[in-house]
Parts: sequence; C-alpha cells; structure tokens
Amino acid sequence: MSAPRWLDRMPAWPLYLAVLVAFPLLVYPNEVLFRWTGISIGGQLTYIFIYAILALGLNVVVGYTGILHLGIAAFFGIGAYVTGILTVPAYPFGVGFVAALVLSTGAAALAGILLGAPTLRLRGDYVAIVTLGFGEVTRFTLRNLEEITAGTRGLNPVPPPQLPAFLEPPLRLLGITPDWSLDYRLFYFLALGLLLVVIWLLHNLEDSRLGRAWMAIREDELAAACMGINASRVKLSAFALGCGLAGMAGCLYATVLASTAGPDAFDFNRSVLMLCCIILGGLGSLRGTLLGVLLLIGFDNVVAPVLDGFIQASGISSGDNRFLTFSNWKLMIFGLALILMMRFRPEGLLPSRQIEAEMHTPQPLTEETA
Amino acid sequence: MFPVLLAAAEAPDAWQTFLQYTLIGLSNGALFALVALGYTMVYGIIELINFAHGEVFMLGSFLALALIGVMGLEEAALWQRWLGIGLLFVVVPIFCGALNVGIDLAVYKPLRDAPKLAPLVSAIGVSFVLMNVGLLWGGAADRHFPDLVSRENLLGSEAALSFTYKDLMIVAVTVPIMIALSVFVKGTRLGKAMRATAQDPLAAKLMGINADRVISVTFAIGGALAGAAAVIYGLYINTVSYQMGFTNGLYAFTAAVLGGIGNIPGAVLGGLVIGLARAFGSGYVGERWTSALVFVILIAILVFRPAGLLGTHAREKV
Amino acid sequence: MTRFIPPLLLVALLAVTTIVGWGGSAGGDPNTIKIVSSLPRTGSAKAQTDTIVGGMKMALDEAGYKAGKFNIEFLDWDDATAGAGQWTAEAETANANRAVGDPDVMVYLGTYNSGAAKISMPILNKAGLLMISPVNTWPGLTKPGMGDPGEPDIYRPSGEITYVRLVPTDDLQGPLGAQWAKELGFKSVYVLDDNEVYGKGIATLFIDACHELGIEVLGHESIDVKAQEFKPLMATIKSLKPDLVYFGGTTQSKGGQIAKDMVAAGLDAKLMVPDACYEEAFIESAGAENVNDRVYVTFGGLPPEQWTGAGARFRDEYIKQHGKKPEGYAIYGYEAAKAALEAIRTAGVKDRRAILEAARGIRDFDQGALGTWSFDENGDSTLTTISGLTIRNGQFEFVKLLGQ
Repeated sequence: MSAPRWLDRMPAWPLYLAVLVAFPLLVYPNEVLFRWTGISIGGQLTYIFIYAILALGLNVVVGYTGILHLGIAAFFGIGAYVTGILTVPAYPFGVGFVAALVLSTGAAALAGILLGAPTLRLRGDYVAIVTLGFGEVTRFTLRNLEEITAGTRGLNPVPPPQLPAFLEPPLRLLGITPDWSLDYRLFYFLALGLLLVVIWLLHNLEDSRLGRAWMAIREDELAAACMGINASRVKLSAFALGCGLAGMAGCLYATVLASTAGPDAFDFNRSVLMLCCIILGGLGSLRGTLLGVLLLIGFDNVVAPVLDGFIQASGISSGDNRFLTFSNWKLMIFGLALILMMRFRPEGLLPSRQIEAEMHTPQPLTEETA
Repeated sequence: MFPVLLAAAEAPDAWQTFLQYTLIGLSNGALFALVALGYTMVYGIIELINFAHGEVFMLGSFLALALIGVMGLEEAALWQRWLGIGLLFVVVPIFCGALNVGIDLAVYKPLRDAPKLAPLVSAIGVSFVLMNVGLLWGGAADRHFPDLVSRENLLGSEAALSFTYKDLMIVAVTVPIMIALSVFVKGTRLGKAMRATAQDPLAAKLMGINADRVISVTFAIGGALAGAAAVIYGLYINTVSYQMGFTNGLYAFTAAVLGGIGNIPGAVLGGLVIGLARAFGSGYVGERWTSALVFVILIAILVFRPAGLLGTHAREKV
Repeated sequence: MTRFIPPLLLVALLAVTTIVGWGGSAGGDPNTIKIVSSLPRTGSAKAQTDTIVGGMKMALDEAGYKAGKFNIEFLDWDDATAGAGQWTAEAETANANRAVGDPDVMVYLGTYNSGAAKISMPILNKAGLLMISPVNTWPGLTKPGMGDPGEPDIYRPSGEITYVRLVPTDDLQGPLGAQWAKELGFKSVYVLDDNEVYGKGIATLFIDACHELGIEVLGHESIDVKAQEFKPLMATIKSLKPDLVYFGGTTQSKGGQIAKDMVAAGLDAKLMVPDACYEEAFIESAGAENVNDRVYVTFGGLPPEQWTGAGARFRDEYIKQHGKKPEGYAIYGYEAAKAALEAIRTAGVKDRRAILEAARGIRDFDQGALGTWSFDENGDSTLTTISGLTIRNGQFEFVKLLGQ
C-alpha cells in the first residue's frame, strides 16, 4: 500500500499529543473508563507525566552518558522537600510555585554537582554504588533531621500554584473548574506542559554539541577524551541536568500531592523502578523512556489495582488463603515481566537508533575487568 | 584469643563496651563478607551486579527453617542438634548453589551478549520473583528461627563482656570457608581458570578454558557461600523474613565494592569494615544514623581510593 | 504506516467511550452499598493489614453482608504498590478518588499509616464521604493543638468532620504506660522508637510522663527499621543498666528482634511495648522463650478473654474460624466495619451525608468487641480503656486495667 508522500513524512507524535490533550476535555471517555476500571485514568496520567520527567532526567545520565545512576530518587526527594520547605505554612518563605520549581530544580542540580564532582571520575560500577549510597544517606537524613523535614510525618500542606486571573474565563469555557483540588485537569495540563518542555529541550540537546559529547563518552570515554572532549566536565553537566530534572519532577510531585509524602517515598526501590523503566523502554531514547514509564508505572498504578478489583469482584480471592490473594502475586508478575522483556528485547522496546545499530554489529572482542 | 578476651573482661567499663562493639562488629562483618563473596565473584567473572543474590540467601534461610521443623531439632538431644546443624550446612549450601546456577542458566546466560544493563534489569526481576516465592513460602511476618546454638557466655556468665557459643560458631564456620576458598582459587586448576576468565575472558577462551563451565562453577560457589551464610544468619540473628535478602544484599554488595569489586580478600575486608562501622556507628554516633554512616564511609573511601580498599586501579577500555 | 496504528487505536477508544457514555447511564443497584478499605496490602505492613482485613470480613460475615435493607459489598484496596513495596501517596490518592467517584461507595475504611490519612483525608472530606480509620493514632488527625500547627483543620477543607477513628490516640496510652512502669517499681528506663509517626509519637509521650513521674530516662534512640539486628545498641543499653526498656513501635518495625537481642545481649531489664506489638506475631517473631515473663504490653481496649456480650461472640467465632484468638489490630478492623454497618443501618438511606451524620452520631455503641463507646466532637472514639498485659507461657495474659 503506498501512502501519499506528505503522510510518509508526517510524524506520529502530534496524534498522540492530540489524544492526550483531548482526553481530559471529553467528559464521556473519562466517565466510561472510570466506570469500567474504577481508576481515574486522567489523574493517574498526571503522575505518569511526573515520573516521565524523572525518567527523562535519569535517561540523560544513564542513557545518553552511560553513567549507572542508582540514586535518582534522592534528587526527586530533594526537589520535593525543597518545595515543601519553601511553600508550607510552617515555614516563613511561602514562595510561589514558579519560584519553588526553579529553586528545587536548581537545588537538586547543585546536589548533583556536589556529589558528582569528586566521584564521577570513578569507574562505572563504583559510581553506581556511590549514587546508591547517596540515595540512602539522603533518605536517612530526611528521616532523622526531624526539626527541618518533620521526619516521617512529611511536610504539608503544599499549596497549589496561583492561577493567573486571565486564565480563568478560557478554562471555564473548556469546562474546567479553576480550583486545583477540585479538578485534576489543572495539574494534568501543568504536568503535561512541563513534560513537553522537557522533551523539547532534550530533543534539541540530543543533536547539540553537548549531547553528542555525552554519547561519545558513553561509547568510549578514552577516545572521546582524545578528541578533545573534557570528559569530567561533560559528565558532570549530564549528571547535573539529570538530577535537576529529577528535582523538577519532585517539585511537581509534592505540589500535586499537596504534601512531600514521607522520606520512604524516595528510597532505593523508587530508583530501581525508574531505572527499570528506562532500560525496558530503551536506553538513550526519548520515546523508549516514555513508553517504559507508561508500562511499568501504568502496571503499578493502573493495571494492578484494576486486576485486583476484578479478581475480588469475581470472588476467587475471598478467605485467608495466601495463594489466592492478588497482592501476594504482584511482585512475581512484575519480576517475570522484567525478565521476559529483557530476554526477548534486551535493547529495550524502542531503542535509540545508535544502540540498535550496535546490537546488530559484532561486538569488539576485547573486554576488560579489574 | 581467649586469654586476650579474658584479660579484657577485667578492663574498665568504657573499654569493655568498646571491645563488645568490636566483637559484634566482627561477627556481623563476617556474615556480610560471606554474602559479599558471592557478589564479588560473579562480578569478577561476568561484570554483573547480581541483585538476586540476596534473595538466594533469603530462600536458603527459609529452607533451613523448614528443615529444622522437619527434623524436629528444637526438641532433639544435644548430639542430634549438632548433627542436624551439620546437615543444614550441607543441604542449604547445595540448594542455594543449585538455585544460583539455575538462575544463571535460565536468565543471565541468554543475555551474555546483550547490552550490559539488560542482565542487571533481569537480576532485579529475578530478585522480585524470588522475594515473592519467599512471601508465599514463609508469609509476610518475621519468623523466629529457633535458638539452637547456646548463647552461654564463654567468658563466664558473670563477665560484662560477652562472647558466646554463637560468636564462636561464626568464627568456626567462616574462617575455614574463607581459607578453603582462597586455596581453591589460588591453587586448583579450576580456580586458576576462574582467575584467568576474570582477567581476560577472550584470552582465557583462547587458552582452551571452558568459560561457561567456569561461570557455572562461580555461581555455584557464590550460591553455596550464601547458603552457608543463611544458616549462620538464622542461628545467630534468629529471625528470618522474606525481606531480609534485600537489606543484607545491599550491605553485602556495598562490602564487595568497598573492598574492590572482583577482589576476594577485598570482599572479606569490606564486610568486616561494614560490620565494624555499623557497630561503632550505633555505639558512638547514634543508632538511627548507623546505615547512613556506612554509606558515608563508602563514598569517602571511594573518593580517596577509587578502586576500593584492595582493588587495583584498572583503566577502562585501554 | 504501522506507526499510526497505536494513536489511531487511542482515537478509536475515545470515540467508542464517548458513544458508550452518551448512551449509558451511571449509578448502580440502589440496594447495594460498597464499603472499601484502603490499606497497604503489599510489602512490609502486609502481615498486620492481613489481620485488620480479617477482622473487617468477620464483622461483615456476621452481618451476612447486610445492613438494614442494603446488601453490602466489601472491597479490599491496596494503597501500596509492588514497585515501592509500601504505601505510596499516589496509590492512596487514587483510592480516595476512586471511592469518591464511585456513587455506590458510602464508607472508606482506612488508612493504616497516619501519613496516608493526611493525603486522603482532604479528598474524602471535600466529597463528604465517611472515613473510619481502624488504627491511625497520630493525635493531630483529629485533636486540635496535639499535632503540628494547623492540624487538624488543614485536613478538613469543607470545614466538616468526615473522619472518625476508633483507636485511642497515643496521648493516652504512652502516659498510662509510664504510670504503670512506676507502679511496677521501675526506677530507670531506656526508650527506643522506630522513627515512624506512631512509634516516635508514643515514645515521646512516654518520656514526658516519665519525667513527670520521676522515672529516670537513661537515653532515647530511634532505630532503623530496616536493620537486621540491634546487638551493638543492646551493648550500649546494657552498659547503662536500666530497669526497663520501652520500645515505641510495632511488630513489623522490629519489636520482636529487640526483645530477642535484649536477651541475647544478656540484658536483665524488662521490656514494655505499646498496642502495635499486641499480636501473636510479636511472640512468634521474638520467640516465646525470649518474651516470657519479661515483657509488658499496653493495649487500648480489653483483651479478648475479658470480653462479654457481642465481643465474646466475636471472639468465639473468630477462634472457631481461625483456630486462635483475634489480634489487637483484628479487633479494630472488626470494630471499624461494625461501626460502618451501624451507620448505614441507622441512616437507612443510600446517601453519603446521612450515613456520615449517622456515624458521627454513634453513641454508646456496644455491639462490637471493644466495650461501650461513642464518637466525640473531634471524631475520636471515647474509648479510654487501656489494659496492661504480660506474656506468660507464650500467651498474652491480662494483668490489670491501667489508670484506675
């Protein structure tokens, strides 16, 4: 079947975007999907957008630059807690959303620089364990510095952003109530908008001088250094940007939840889950990262509860038999999915072109170990 | 060793507490070291951070618990107990070794040529699956592991310093295991093949070494060590739960890196350092900062010794 | 053109759902009411939530899944995810929104973690949906001036009280525990907590009371709940020679391990623990030989063997079904479901507002297992019975009522 040339050239993403924008504005799809699944798909998509920003940040570090980062949750948490400190009524700052967003992004990036400057020169897997360690240290610090972080109670309430007055009439026209806590769609569009900005930024960076330097380092650090790339500075820039994006996601997370949640929301599990998202989707690929987040977070937050609901409604799982309770099988399903996906698509579902090309050329046979 | 400890029992209070921390730290450290060896050996050969290793350890301790129930060791006579414990030290390591080899063959082996991070994600997947198996097997709550080894103080029941039969058991089991391991790796043909494969897989292959076999042996030994550690852990800590693999795996992995990953004496040293850091951290800094302290030490050591305590610095891709 | 297939499918889905939505109508069976629970059912708290849900189901079974003329449907929702291994804020938010959006849901039983309640309370409050918590003990959720600044009003955007709870809050149990310690003749205490909202809260209140009563507090430490053992900590405590160790925490936050390591370190001090350790799992995880005659437990309510009337029936039925006595948390789950059924029955209509008012209006309720109680103006139950127990021969044994 031959298609017209203009169709051949047209990318598919505007169609996705159109669906994402149209979906919350249409009343019936939401209602019907809620009736079928019991989940507010739009509300959950907001979180998926936030995790997508987090994953894209991680992808800059792991996917583009090839640094294994096992502590991204710490920077997510730093973003959330900086936002919390800057906005909750218990503190005197009370800054607005935009300032909080900028400052928490900056704070997380700064933390990334402070950690990365002395440690990024380490060999690959040593950096991994340093980031892991930093993640745990951050979590314990958030837990233990109760005077500042309120410990496991978390900081709340984080106020919603101030809506500019001129936006109210057009919002009402679209059927959106201009109250953040009553209508999830305000956060939905806020998160979607920020995600688009991040995607646009990264898309441009991919082909920039800096982006190509990142990938050169991923492929061969020594060769890249020989070509005149200042490896440590370039790595540090990727690390700072990745951590900064994580901080931005953290700020959004705290704002949407109206709370910083607790320190345990930013533990090693979260880091590992995000890493699984980007590897599963395809390292170094924007589309892949988005798909990975959609699948894994979607399973955790949407598919699992829906399945659980169906199973309970069907009456199989009544009683105390632990083998017949869905929640007792969640980890198994999740783990098997990871194993099988890696078995059949080790390069990820939508790998970047470069990595895919590598997979289909014979590997150089020299490998080294310490 | 005993005269020293007995003399120490006469020392002033602050010193006794210090010695007590040291003893506890070393015992716990030896445990971490046993698990860390499995990480470090596997990493040395195939450069995989085997996240599922801690879960193999966890299932080993569940098996030990089940076997104790089956054999009725809690009510058995003393000699029967010792026999039973001896049997645990045979059966559980075999089980864990076999499990570890099975995981490698089924999951990691097909991914040998895949991008480096693919087996890592698979390992995380295996770890989730095994954790779920543990949950279905042992339930969600902590389980008590019977106190089969006497906690009578070897220094006399009145002494302030305590060094019990349990502490003695850790020394009596881990030291011979570690000596045997180093003799094996240094002296035997298979051990040499392992070191050769770790150093340069391609050259090793060209020399006629069967790399697959070496890898399987490595997984078997790593698993068996985790199995032995699981039995000791049960007898020493007396609690098992389906989540114990995660925490212990994390510390053991940290120990392996701290010592220089891929380096066998390094893993032992790393384990001891972490054990001691935890004990002194709890004693002199504060219990709630203990875990954070371990990682702060880790980061500090890596900043100053980038290849770990005993690792030699090898440049990547030269 | 394959790349256009997925987005076109999405467009088709939108179209189909729009058409379906146009035609269909919402609303279910007018005689069916849903009660939902939102508790962490995956991960570290699973063991305790198993017993809570077990208790809820017992109450519903007893009532034959009926309240007045309504058929009751019970849904056991999870606010934890497999990826996180514990409760997550977004899962709790999703559950709250799901409950609000489902017109059949009239009662929300939850949460387990006080932190989770802080997230879902405002959402449910705005929708005017009744929330009954079996086990949240953070005082700030209901009691003005007892928690952080601004609490509890920040959880009540509608200005109305929609959240009620059964368990006596920590400000009651901690001090009574200290008083009991004084009566038992303990002169000095070392206090531990698990650094969680519940454990730390109750430990702090216990310490305050100790200062008032003249019990010497030798030290206060928070533990890391993910640590495996506390031998160095016990060595520290041993060198201070306290008469008593108090642990503010739960079985899951290593209560059993603490009891065990105390014995292993040769510590002669006794151990006192709050209600979250009042369950068989505590004895099981600590090992009976490590806790016999050396542990004191405080618990809000009466232990099962002291129950009369409806409580006794519940106890006997529970033993028949499960082969053992109900646990502390199971009782609160049971009582919460009982209260929900009572509210639906007295309201008599399928209306959130009416059921909410009926629940708040519960007075002198004696059909459950916790004795007779009412809800007060903050939404707290008037339960102030705190019992003191000990462990003997691997069983909890009632000693006395505290504070009397």
